[in-house]
Amino acid sequence: MSQPQTERSLFRAVVTDLHFWIPLTVLLGGFFLLDKLS
Amino acid sequence: MTASSGSVRAAAPAQSPVHATRLRSLQALGIFCGFAAGAWLGGAEAPIKLVNPDISPITVSFIMVLGVFLARWSVPAFIRGTWHLRNDVRQAPHLIVWAVLAGCMWAVANTLTIYAIRNVGLSIAFPLWNTNSLLGIFWGFLLFNELHYAGWKRWLGVLGGAVCMFGGATLLAIASSHQAAPGKAALGIFAALGAGILWGTMYIPYRKAYLTGMNPLSFITFFTIGELATMTVLAVAYRGAIPLWHELVGAREVLFWLMLGGFVWVLGDLFQQYATKYVGISRGIPLSNTNQLWGLLWGILVFHELRGAGQTVYAQVAGGSLLMALGAVAIALSSASEREHSSWQDAAQREGRRYRVEDEYVQAGMEGREMVRTEGTGRDLPRDRNTRTSLDWLLIFITTGLFAVLAFMARLPHIDISMGWAVVLTTAMLALLATCGITLWRTTRFR
Repeated sequence: MSQPQTERSLFRAVVTDLHFWIPLTVLLGGFFLLDKLS
Repeated sequence: MTASSGSVRAAAPAQSPVHATRLRSLQALGIFCGFAAGAWLGGAEAPIKLVNPDISPITVSFIMVLGVFLARWSVPAFIRGTWHLRNDVRQAPHLIVWAVLAGCMWAVANTLTIYAIRNVGLSIAFPLWNTNSLLGIFWGFLLFNELHYAGWKRWLGVLGGAVCMFGGATLLAIASSHQAAPGKAALGIFAALGAGILWGTMYIPYRKAYLTGMNPLSFITFFTIGELATMTVLAVAYRGAIPLWHELVGAREVLFWLMLGGFVWVLGDLFQQYATKYVGISRGIPLSNTNQLWGLLWGILVFHELRGAGQTVYAQVAGGSLLMALGAVAIALSSASEREHSSWQDAAQREGRRYRVEDEYVQAGMEGREMVRTEGTGRDLPRDRNTRTSLDWLLIFITTGLFAVLAFMARLPHIDISMGWAVVLTTAMLALLATCGITLWRTTRFR
């Protein structure tokens, strides 16, 4: 049975998840593109 | 990632497979939701067409997002009550991060589309950002085991259907385009492609949430926080706080139509979320993209947009519509097999392990059923109920009151619209809302 996560372990699980970095990188790219367009 | 997920798979206890009959009914439900999403997402364009084009696109987008924000909190409060939200957060707190991230992506992508249309016109921009469904298929396959063990017929159905819909979307966009000759073409193409990549990648958080059992009604409430925060920052940054306020005050007669567009859009998006949950992103997203057909129906029948157009344009519309419909049917007929679904469960198990989500919560979410109460985990759930708290009624009351005030201030612009067709299309949308809503309730109780 899994146990609830503490804030620290939650943060760790998110930042070590490659899936998190894919959308985050794409989002930053979107901001960069918006900046170039404006 | 691959190595760790492999070890997780080996260590995890096997989850019981979803019963074949239940799987078929969930797949059919997801496909139905995808078609309903197309109708409501397309219908959301109708109120926006009533708005004076002099208002800045950023401000239009910002006002719509205000309507979206209200809808994303009041609709879940009305359907199930925000009580469920607390349970979802207790079970899977990591999903707040994912939902807010997805909301931020949506807002940036939506703003990019404004620049794309301005620089290259709708005919080029729309098909470019419509590639989001192809990217969705790619991420679904790569990250979430979608289309694994699917067999070549299902692959052909999904990929061929998506390509077919892309071709149809291109024809429709060309036919419905009335844009001037493009300037700054490269920037416009980059903006459209950027929007497609952002939207296509936004489905990673969607799938992540639904594989770990989250309810779409909970996901959208956090999604909209990212959406509203990003859109507010963008609107203030591009327009300035004082000019933005003046523009909002000046647009008070059309606020209702824009916020109504946002509200209608949320209902469509909600169906899209359920489609994503039950048939995955590789099938749910292309089906939702049939919104272009509905937008075109509103444009042609209600707003007389192609009046006086040549035979070529009508041929493009007929061909594009047929291609889109064929693509959607091909995808609808390629629902996941039991074997493919078991590989989705592998992905769900991996996510559950990583974020320490209770097995029963994940399994119940995948099966669209109530979670069985467990003891001693520290996260015990009370029995399911659909009672609403005073907070829920307050949300519903505020939203209804605000829309009533805005409707009182609103003016219908003097444009040529066919009320008869508007009634027909609205009735069709409401019929889809009712039938799909009832089916969702009967099959999953909106889980």
